[in-house]
Amino acid sequence: MLTQNLNLVARPSLLPVSSFDCPYEASKQLNTLNFRLARAKRKLKVTRIKASFWDSIRSGFLKENSTEVIEPSSTLPEEEEPLPEEFVLVEKTELDGEIEQIVFSSGGDIDLYDLQALCDKVGWPRRPLSKLAAALKNSYMVVTLHSLRKSPGSEGNDQKKLIGMARATSDHAFNATIWDVLVDPSYQGQGLGKALIEKLIRALLQRDIGNITLFADSQVVEFYRNLGFEPDPEGIKGMFWYPKY
Amino acid sequence: MEVAAVAAQLNCAAGSYKAMEIRWATSKDYQKRVSSKLKSRRIPIFISTNPSDLNPRDLKELCITCNHSFHRFPTLDHNGKLVEAVDLQKLRVALSHSSVLVSVFCNLQDASVDDNQPEEHPLASPLMGLRDLLRTLPLPAVSPSNSQLVGFGRAVSDFGLTASIYDVMVVPSLRRMGIGKMIVKRIIRMLTNKEIYDIAAICSANERLFFKACGFGDDILGSTTMMYTRSVSTYPQSDQMAKRAGRKLLILPPVRKAP
Repeated sequence: MLTQNLNLVARPSLLPVSSFDCPYEASKQLNTLNFRLARAKRKLKVTRIKASFWDSIRSGFLKENSTEVIEPSSTLPEEEEPLPEEFVLVEKTELDGEIEQIVFSSGGDIDLYDLQALCDKVGWPRRPLSKLAAALKNSYMVVTLHSLRKSPGSEGNDQKKLIGMARATSDHAFNATIWDVLVDPSYQGQGLGKALIEKLIRALLQRDIGNITLFADSQVVEFYRNLGFEPDPEGIKGMFWYPKY
Repeated sequence: MEVAAVAAQLNCAAGSYKAMEIRWATSKDYQKRVSSKLKSRRIPIFISTNPSDLNPRDLKELCITCNHSFHRFPTLDHNGKLVEAVDLQKLRVALSHSSVLVSVFCNLQDASVDDNQPEEHPLASPLMGLRDLLRTLPLPAVSPSNSQLVGFGRAVSDFGLTASIYDVMVVPSLRRMGIGKMIVKRIIRMLTNKEIYDIAAICSANERLFFKACGFGDDILGSTTMMYTRSVSTYPQSDQMAKRAGRKLLILPPVRKAP
């Protein structure tokens, strides 16, 4: 019964446009520290020129063996990202013979301009594209719905349109937060938003990520309640930071 | 409750990256018995944002000491204590995927020695500060190698728009000294350096005042915090898959495929 507009779940960033830059130099200074960590007999190799931030953490977690096994991010067994899937959720045949398919996809690439157009349609404030791109890239899981229109006869004339999206950020172990759930207004009321969220929850729970949170606007609290979410359970509340200049 | 920043900062040779910083945590204990003179303890602590300084086993111990759970709905015994400790492997995964990690170390012998000292005359405090400073120099002698983890905080971010702060904890013996606030301030500073200003903290009822004091408030857009709590006990149905999260057995939504 989705008669309400699925609007903003994640509050948009409230800040002005600025370029995004995220340097990580964690491994460099470790060798130049004056004090040694007595409990760790590990030494971080200087020769790792391109060692990434996470590699340095992982090798730091190896306990009291002097063999430095520096594992690249992909070989840790627990680090499998959710496998991308794509399948047709709904298929409808129009009166003029056209078939419209709604395709669910996870882990797919999103065209940022499509996404921004969709955000405009639901009435969200604009956010800098670079930040959007970074946010999507670093989210644990991004699920999308596309509408595929196939006209009969002419193959290759399919129209693909982004009609829904949801994403979740997580620490891959305990906590996850669902942000930015949106469905094109003309496709609302069909259970598509519900499918997106259910898929996200299922994927998160399968990885034993038990704390799934989201921040719902007042109009959509009922929608999420029907999906199994509880507002302020046991007094748990989210607070946001307000810079005091 | 105040924190005095100290001039000594350890800069590494690489230049601007401050790996470890020394700070002073102070607490003012008002003696109710005889005199109302202030007795302040000045304890040197080390705050670090370097993930390599953090040993997951120490963190696990700290969680046990603070009775902190990574699950939102943990199983507690009749005393309110956690029944099971956090899984170390899961902890490692969580730490490796956290965007910001802040650890606070302190030489606990220093902290307990202060307790045994006779009441300090308030006028002697500047001298006490100096003595403390002298005691801690030369600095390599009081490095994190002989200090223990006493505080922690972390944040998870998508490096674009949002971030969430989790698991801020300080050992009970060093609470109310400004350490927790220092941890949160450091996390915020690291996030704002990466231009992330939308910072959320999901806290239980008793942590709310703490975060309020750190500058957090209710959402100005009026959103409601919701958590997935559909569990076997509240939604009994046949043949459903469930996953344990603390004391709740959360139900997985059904699989949907095309008709």
